[in-house]
Amino acid sequence: MTPRKTRLWLQPSYLAVMVPSVLVLATLVVCAIFADWISPYDPLKQDLISALQPPSARHWLGTDDLGRDVLSRLIHGCRIALIAAAEATGIAVLIGVPIGMFVGFRGGWWDWITMRIVEAMVSIPGIMVAIVIIAILGTGLHRAMFALGILYSTAFLRLARSVVLAEREEVYVKSARVIGASPSRVLLRHIFPNIAPPLIVQITLTVGAVLLAEAGLSFIGIGVQPPNASWGTMLNTAAVFMDLAPFLALPPGLAIVATVLSVNLLGDVIRDSIGRGIRTATPPRGRVQRAATVASDPVMPREDDVLRVEGLEVFVTAKTGEEVQVLSDLSFSIARGETLGLVGESGSGKTITGLAIMDLIGAGGRVTGGKVMLDGIDLRGLSRRRMIEVRGNDVAMVFQDPTTSLNPAYTVGNQIAEVLRRKKGLGTTEAQKQTVELIDRVGIPGAAERAKAYPHELSGGMAQRIAIARALSCNPKLLIADEPTTALDVTVQQEILDLFRDLQEEFGMAMLFVTHDLAVAADICDRISVMYAGEIVETAPVNALFATPRHPYTAGLLSASPHGSDGTPPLPTIPGSVPTPGQWPEGCRFSARCPYATAACKVRVPLIQGVRCVRSDEIRPGRAA
Amino acid sequence: MGRLIAQRLLAMLPLLLIVSFLTFSLTAMLPGDPADLILGDRATEAQYRMVHERLGLDQPFLLRYVQWLQRAVLGDLGTSFFNSVRVMDAVAQRIPATVSLTLASVLISIVVGLSAGVAAALRPRSWIDRLATFGATIGQAIPNFWFGILLAGVFAVNLRWFPATGYTPFGQSPLGWLSSITLPALALGLSTSAAIARQVRSAMVGVLQQDYVRAALAQGLSRRRVIFKHALKNALIPVVTVLSFQVTVLLGGALIVEHVFAINGIGSLAVAAVRQQDIPMIQGIVLVLVMIVMAVQLCTDILYGLINPKARPA
Repeated sequence: MTPRKTRLWLQPSYLAVMVPSVLVLATLVVCAIFADWISPYDPLKQDLISALQPPSARHWLGTDDLGRDVLSRLIHGCRIALIAAAEATGIAVLIGVPIGMFVGFRGGWWDWITMRIVEAMVSIPGIMVAIVIIAILGTGLHRAMFALGILYSTAFLRLARSVVLAEREEVYVKSARVIGASPSRVLLRHIFPNIAPPLIVQITLTVGAVLLAEAGLSFIGIGVQPPNASWGTMLNTAAVFMDLAPFLALPPGLAIVATVLSVNLLGDVIRDSIGRGIRTATPPRGRVQRAATVASDPVMPREDDVLRVEGLEVFVTAKTGEEVQVLSDLSFSIARGETLGLVGESGSGKTITGLAIMDLIGAGGRVTGGKVMLDGIDLRGLSRRRMIEVRGNDVAMVFQDPTTSLNPAYTVGNQIAEVLRRKKGLGTTEAQKQTVELIDRVGIPGAAERAKAYPHELSGGMAQRIAIARALSCNPKLLIADEPTTALDVTVQQEILDLFRDLQEEFGMAMLFVTHDLAVAADICDRISVMYAGEIVETAPVNALFATPRHPYTAGLLSASPHGSDGTPPLPTIPGSVPTPGQWPEGCRFSARCPYATAACKVRVPLIQGVRCVRSDEIRPGRAA
Repeated sequence: MGRLIAQRLLAMLPLLLIVSFLTFSLTAMLPGDPADLILGDRATEAQYRMVHERLGLDQPFLLRYVQWLQRAVLGDLGTSFFNSVRVMDAVAQRIPATVSLTLASVLISIVVGLSAGVAAALRPRSWIDRLATFGATIGQAIPNFWFGILLAGVFAVNLRWFPATGYTPFGQSPLGWLSSITLPALALGLSTSAAIARQVRSAMVGVLQQDYVRAALAQGLSRRRVIFKHALKNALIPVVTVLSFQVTVLLGGALIVEHVFAINGIGSLAVAAVRQQDIPMIQGIVLVLVMIVMAVQLCTDILYGLINPKARPA
């Protein structure tokens, strides 16, 4: 588990990108420097008799319209490309960085006017800005590159300015000024070093852009002027003789693509390695653990059961790519009109239980065992299409945070009406009418008006009422409420709980109420199942559970709860924390934190008569544990 | 929505003023006397004075700017230095080709980018996902005019499916317009579409993990409906914000790609003007392009307000 720091660019995936890129660029530089020695011919020497020839032994890449050797021109084009990139990027840095630092440091009118000019330049297509500057300066390589330098200086200007603005407020800069360092000294000594990393990244981006722009300008005839060999002018010739010598377009084009691609890819590597020293955490090696099967009591079928979950087992894929078990041996039932509370600390598997029932765990996980019986039908055996029908119609869900569980892009009325139309097949007007009725039913005044509101225009409590209205729109048999009051203001919580109670009385649905708050559970639930590390450790009617908890964990929870204890300090807490999935002990999962743990707890414990503890009868943990 | 548009329009005014001022300053930045450009080397003193008077060069700079701006607002961008063509007429004649090429490429990049992006988001690491990533990387490195040459070589010269050069106005023949615009629009649009696909993909992947997507699924809505109604609208929000930038890039690219297909658009007009240092023409072209860019920005702002309720002024 030791995180070790690796040099990013030494990792194989990066080397595979870097080695070819560096090779391409090295070739470019060598060709540029030694062009006169390497090229087989003079790039300007015409030979009209052998014009427009395809590649041959004499001319490896053929000849152009004037019989000039394409390979030689390509090699000399490397020199132009290198000069172009260096000149334009250099000018951009030299113009942009000082001005950016100055206006960032100085602020005020200087800053305002400069930034408006920059905005104006950025609002025009870059190539047009370059064209305008060339109109003033005239055509030709160096003038065109000066134009590009001015064009791309805006990026450097913004970059330098933003770094200065950020650093200016830093304590060390302020203190340097307090001790009387001159502004230029502060700029150079303290701020400039911080510009270097983003500057390097911006330079790689600019080099790629310059190469493309130079080719474009030369191509349309206002950059490098013929007969000089630049890749852009070569492409210009190629475009003219497209039908006679289609091959002409390939060498310069491929040269541009290879060069720009290499620069960009190298830039990516540099950006990544500057951005963060990659930490590679070695995933914990070990067995993919699967909880042993265990002979728990079967769930007793009751006459009016709506939901019966039997032996549910769920695995999810962890970030390391390993599958870890998050639920095991999970069984419970809920009758019509009954509310079962699923209580436990975060990470105990409460939420995933709700999602597993609805088959909504997503691609990252899967149900590997057990049954989810809804009205006697195993939902796990249903086709995807049938399951879609079940959702909303038979089972609905209310989520923790109403501000995220309602779609911000649609009005709340639209989101309820959509369900009514899709699931109940209502027409638009009827759906609209019922929507307003539902919103009214969940206690929101001015329902017709509120239906037109967007989620962000409602308070959290009101948004949760909307979410409840939507969940109940098709009159489901089972409502799963996943911490529905946790994200709400304390004063609103009680109102929402009352609403749930009223609605249950009216609609008669069974309710699975997931919460970590025992007081909330005591308020609304008929029975409570306490979860710990992916399994139920105790299930009991609410009064019995609070009066005589039979599992040491339940007892610990009760005494740790400010509502559960009589308020006398100090508030006891359970030492330690819930073991994460994948780290469960083989026997009783609570044993590591349990004051009563013995050797008998080292084996897997079944849930017998509603409690998963081998010593439950002898220790009687009781309230005061 | 009316208020949003008014707000945006008002916010654009200062920018337009600055751009117009910078463009106008071009005459002042030009080394030498513009009259030299017009008259050539052998001109008499009287001719000089006449030209100066006609161009208003004997008046103060700021006054000339105000007068020029007044005329520009009324649609008069002056006349070319070199022939008596009115700048407005020349630009108006060339603009349809450039704009329709840009629009067609925008359309291609959005349609292709959107579908590829959504497909890639739904199936991470599938072939379409890899293709979008690969395409975006390559697309950044390919000069679109070279891509245009390749397309023309294959589909116009070899297969003869499309004309290799020229532009047919839509009014003249809609089909002819379509076939003349297809290759250049593909050359421009495809590389941008890969970039858009990548943006859509990353936005979509983020949105698909949101609670409201799960909540919509929990409500029993079909996966398709959740993806294309609930997720897509939210995923488009960040995409729309960069759309106007992409359109600006495409407009710039159009000026060069026109050259490949010998389309007489703004690009060739600008190149000719640059070679002759025809300042009024360049000023006119820049102003018109800026207006187009601003119109695009306004459209994307409106679009942004439409899909993102939080962006609407209360």
